[in-house]
Amino acid sequence: MKCEILYPGAFPMVRVYLDANETVKAESGAMVAASPSIDIESKMEGGFLGALSRKMLSGEKFFFQTLRAGRGAGEVLLAPTVPGEIVLLELDGVNEYMVQKDGFLAGAEGVKIESKMQSLTRGLLGGEGFFILKIGGTGQLILNSFGAIHKIELKPNEEYIVDNSHLVAWTSTTTYNIEKASSGWIASLTSGEGLVCRFRGPGVVYIQSRNPGSFGNWIRQFIPVSE
Amino acid sequence: MNPTPNALCFGDGLPGAGAPCHVTVSADGLIMVPVGTSLLVEEAIAFTAMSVEAGGLDHDQLVVSWGADASVRTLYLKDPALIIAFRRAAPSSLMAHLERAAEQVRRARHSHRALWGSVVGVVVGLGLMLWFGSDLIVEWAVARIPVQWEQKLGETVYQDFLSKETVLKEGPAVSAVQEMAQRMTAKIPNNPYTFQVSVVQSPVVNAFALPGGYVVVFTGLMKKAESGEEVAGVLSHELNHVLQRHGLERMVKMLGLAAVVGIVLGDQQGVLGLAKQLGMELATLKFGREQETEADVTGIRLLHDARIAPDGMIRFFERLSEKDKERVELFSTHPMSAARAQRLKAELAALPKQAPEPFTFEWKGVQDSLGTSEPKK
Ligand SMILES: [Zn+2]
Repeated sequence: MKCEILYPGAFPMVRVYLDANETVKAESGAMVAASPSIDIESKMEGGFLGALSRKMLSGEKFFFQTLRAGRGAGEVLLAPTVPGEIVLLELDGVNEYMVQKDGFLAGAEGVKIESKMQSLTRGLLGGEGFFILKIGGTGQLILNSFGAIHKIELKPNEEYIVDNSHLVAWTSTTTYNIEKASSGWIASLTSGEGLVCRFRGPGVVYIQSRNPGSFGNWIRQFIPVSE
Repeated sequence: MNPTPNALCFGDGLPGAGAPCHVTVSADGLIMVPVGTSLLVEEAIAFTAMSVEAGGLDHDQLVVSWGADASVRTLYLKDPALIIAFRRAAPSSLMAHLERAAEQVRRARHSHRALWGSVVGVVVGLGLMLWFGSDLIVEWAVARIPVQWEQKLGETVYQDFLSKETVLKEGPAVSAVQEMAQRMTAKIPNNPYTFQVSVVQSPVVNAFALPGGYVVVFTGLMKKAESGEEVAGVLSHELNHVLQRHGLERMVKMLGLAAVVGIVLGDQQGVLGLAKQLGMELATLKFGREQETEADVTGIRLLHDARIAPDGMIRFFERLSEKDKERVELFSTHPMSAARAQRLKAELAALPKQAPEPFTFEWKGVQDSLGTSEPKK
């Protein structure tokens, strides 16, 4: 699999080249166009309404579909739903990223994805979602953000505080606590009372320059209310 | 060829995400070989020169540090086999430190828990009872959820789902399903729901209902059915899952604690948020056996009230069960056990006889309108 980011900036797209019979996992809905040799493996094993528990354990079914170059090499164009940047990461089998579920765009065949239930306190309070994806394995991982993507590198024990709704991904060598924002932080309305994550290095945290929840609220004020 | 990396090394001048390296345990320490990076050199670290703690997001990584000031290096080991080898080889003095660190983690978690205090205590109690299946509590919690909220929740997921699918807007299949739904919903006394039924183009042989009355029938199911009554049977069963609020019950069970906290504290907004994040998980709810039986029984009665031949569902199942077991999604959520079939038949037999009123559509025509988009096997 080879990837190329087209139109870098706010409205990018990724071109993914697949060798014959190679697959890529893409967020369902991300596919814009593809060569005719690409098949969508949309079979949802175990039936559409298959056991919930299985889904919660593996998490894979609902977040992505598998695209296979089943009838010869070809390419796929993928794009995220929201305007924002795309970043390519190379997984070497030892690094591992926790990804907020809207942040995942696609991953190579060797990339392993599991959805992880947030621990109660983190999940309840965290604006980043009840489920996050834990992504490891080998190969290219493609993430997308709402707005620009910004990388924060943390040295061992170095701390950094991030508004929850701006989180995209972070390496699993970092630890974090969710805290109530002290005054001065702009409370994002979606996460309620303005929650922030205090990260501690070493590791890398990717954040997005726009907050989807706040943006939604901003849009909402222009939509006439019926009733 | 490079060995596969099994650890990440951090420190000044190294990448923020860590430099990949291959670590092995020797008799008196670790040997670190950098993989694919020139920023690090191979190094042997003696047990006596290192300090050890647990770290990483889940505190399941072994963190080894050595050096001083600007040359401090920190290794994160994640591979369980490597960690075991390390624990075996390392002197007990070093491990004592690790055990202390582990103890600290445990204590930190403990004090964290203590913070949540008494409110959580009560809620945890409720939650535990939930997990152990006290249906009374589930029902109690579910009864507290207003229909309006349930609709909001169902609708969100419904719209989200439909936006990703090809929905049939009109045509014989849509009219047929609408007719079935109308005949049935007209016979539901004090119906608080406004049912919405969509036909989705898909080979999936299934149908599902979301809380609040949002029903999806896949064309795959309609193609496999031999009569409108068979589809109506499945539909009636699904409508009754909604009427009995099975989805909500399941969801409360699933979200457990979190939902109960929300409902108890009246924070429905919060629960809604959680449920939204669960997204389509809601549509994949597998109901319990009692819920299935309840939906079967009430479903048959509803068909009877609507003067629709009530044996459609069981006919559909029995006809398909032999050859299509593997490929029919409906079976995975609705296993037709002998007991269930027995119960259905007993219920059918107990119904007073009446002449069913046929549908206005002709089933063959409905099926033909669906075309042959699905390749015949
Ligand atoms: Zn059912």
